[in-house]
Formats: sequence, structure tokens, C-alpha cells
Amino acid sequence: MATDCQATQEMLTELGGEIERLDQVAQHHLEVCPGCREVAAAEFALGRIFSEAVPPADPTIEKKVLAHLGPARIRRRFVAFLPVAASLVVALLGAVLVGGVPGGGIVAFLPGWSAQGWMAFVTSASDWGVAVAAGARATAATLDPVMLAGAGLLGFLGLVAVAATALRWRRVSPWRNDG
Amino acid sequence: MTEKTPPLTDERLVEIALDGDEEAFGLLVRRYQRRLTAFLSQLVGDLELARELSQEAFVRAWSALSRFDPRYRFSTWLFRIAHNLGIDHLRRRRLKTVSLYRTDAEGDEVEVIAPDTEKDPLGHLENHALASELRQVIDELRPEYRELVLLRHFAGLSYQEIADFKEMPLGTVKNKLFRAHSVLRDALADFL
Repeated sequence: MATDCQATQEMLTELGGEIERLDQVAQHHLEVCPGCREVAAAEFALGRIFSEAVPPADPTIEKKVLAHLGPARIRRRFVAFLPVAASLVVALLGAVLVGGVPGGGIVAFLPGWSAQGWMAFVTSASDWGVAVAAGARATAATLDPVMLAGAGLLGFLGLVAVAATALRWRRVSPWRNDG
Repeated sequence: MTEKTPPLTDERLVEIALDGDEEAFGLLVRRYQRRLTAFLSQLVGDLELARELSQEAFVRAWSALSRFDPRYRFSTWLFRIAHNLGIDHLRRRRLKTVSLYRTDAEGDEVEVIAPDTEKDPLGHLENHALASELRQVIDELRPEYRELVLLRHFAGLSYQEIADFKEMPLGTVKNKLFRAHSVLRDALADFL
């Protein structure tokens, strides 16, 4: 087989006999080479046979696969929840160190250690201004400024982590119009 | 006039799926399930089994998604998972049954898989004579050619993807497929 024939037929094989996709040199060769034209026609027909030989799609497979992802999904969500849980713990730790709920500092400012006292606490807790002021006064009485700053920073970082994780969960995927 | 945005690449969909979006992975399933099943059905000779193996391949891919290296193509990674599953299945089957091997005209050992009409991967072809001839010629191809033909025509991989998949020079892929096609053209001459 001449080198031109070999090269042309290799291209025809790769292109599934689509002669319009051949480069100019190969197309010129094809015009003068009946053997390569025959191969082109055969390759085109072979391509059609193979495209028909691919079995039809199974429309249920996506659903089945996604159903099998369930356990993996639970594991993944559990793992995703861990930073949230850790952040909440850190935030709570910071709040307790600062003298917030249910630390001893704020309790000292409650009307009394009784049911009425807790009712009063719930009422006052709804008012963030009162709670923060009570926490700040209790903190000032029990903690030194360095420890206070550290605890405040810890609590702040925890809240930032919670917010960041929440935003990550809310992210809307941009692919839904994709076919 | 609205501009149509190009479809997201496989690798981008993997990123989105890794962020926990299973529907992005579902889209990858839709993109590849037909080709994956076609490839596996020829590899294991059983369409029903190929569908099950495809399903398992996708689940494995999902489980290993965080280990996918985006420097490589998702398609070759996915087909490698499927290929390994298919080969594992064939090995197990050989342990349970008598192997069917024979020697071809060039003296190479080729595997013969007896077709089951109900599970026949080519059973959907209306031209039964063509299906029978195609089945035979694929089965009789030298294993090194057969695998490349399956990757090219059933998995629908490009020559470059096949070269990546087989870790083989592109020139070697071209040469082997050229030779394989020469055999196919001769064997299927009545249908071309």
C-alpha cells in the first residue's frame, strides 16, 4: 500500500469515513484513488453499523444510581455537619467564658433561683440588649480583659464558621439548565 | 435573543457534585450511562449484567469522587472503573465455569462468549444476520484489537481518550485501530 493510501485510510478510519473532514492532501488523494474511496465508503457504513449496535439508553438507571447514593449521602451530610457542630460548641464555649447563658455570671443577675426567676430569664433573654448587658457586667466582675478578649474572639470565630457553613449549604448549582 | 450557555464540562460537574449536589452527578450518569452500558455489555456479553455493572460503576465513582484527579479526564477515569468491574466479573465467572478459548488464524488465543439471546447486547438490532455477524467478528478479534474497538465504538472514546485510558502512545492506538478496522471491513463486507 502506498504511503498516501496508508495515511488516508488511517484518517478515514479515525473519522468514520467522513471525507469532508479529511485534510486537503487526503481529499486530493481520494479523488485519484479508487481503493481509498472504497475504504471511505466502507468506513462510513461501518460507523453506522456501530452506532446502531449501541443498545438503547436505560431511562431508569439515573434514578437507581441516585437511590444507591443514599447511605453515602447520609455519611457525607454527617461529615458536613461536623464543622457546624464544632463551631456551635466553640461559640457556646466563648459565650460561657464571657459570662453568658448558662454561665454563673448572668444567673447572678436573675431575680431569684426559682421558677419565676427562670421565667424572668426567658423574658429577659428575648431582649438581647438586656442579656448582653447582664453578660457584660458579670464578665467585667469575673474575667480579666485578656481572657475576655480571647473568649470573645473564640465566640466570634465560631459564629463566622457557622455562617460560612450555612452559606455553603445554600449554594445554588448553576448547571440545572445544562442538558 | 438569549445566548445558549455551553454545557458544563464533566470536571466542573464533578466539582459541583463534590459540594454535595447529587443532581450534578445525576447529569454525569445521564451523559455516560448509555456508552458505559454498551461498553460493558460487549465486555461481559450480557446486557442485563452490563446495566447492573454500570450502576455499580457509577456508585463506585461517586464514592471515590473526592479522589478523582481533575488533571485527567472524567471519562477515562469512569471507564477505567467500569473496565475493572467488568474484568473482575469475568475472572469470577471463569472460576465458576469452563473457559471457552480457541485459537484464531494468527495463532492467538481468543475468548469466545456464547451469546444468550435474552441478554444479547446486540439483540435490539433488527437485522439479525448483521447482529450475528457483528457478534462473531467482535468475539474473534484479537484481544488487543477487540478492547480498542469496544472503547472506540461502544464506549465512544476519542483516540486520545483511548490512548490515555490504555496509557499507550496515540500512534499505537491509531495503528491498532486501523488494523482492527481492516479485519472488520473484510468480515462485514456483505453488510457494507
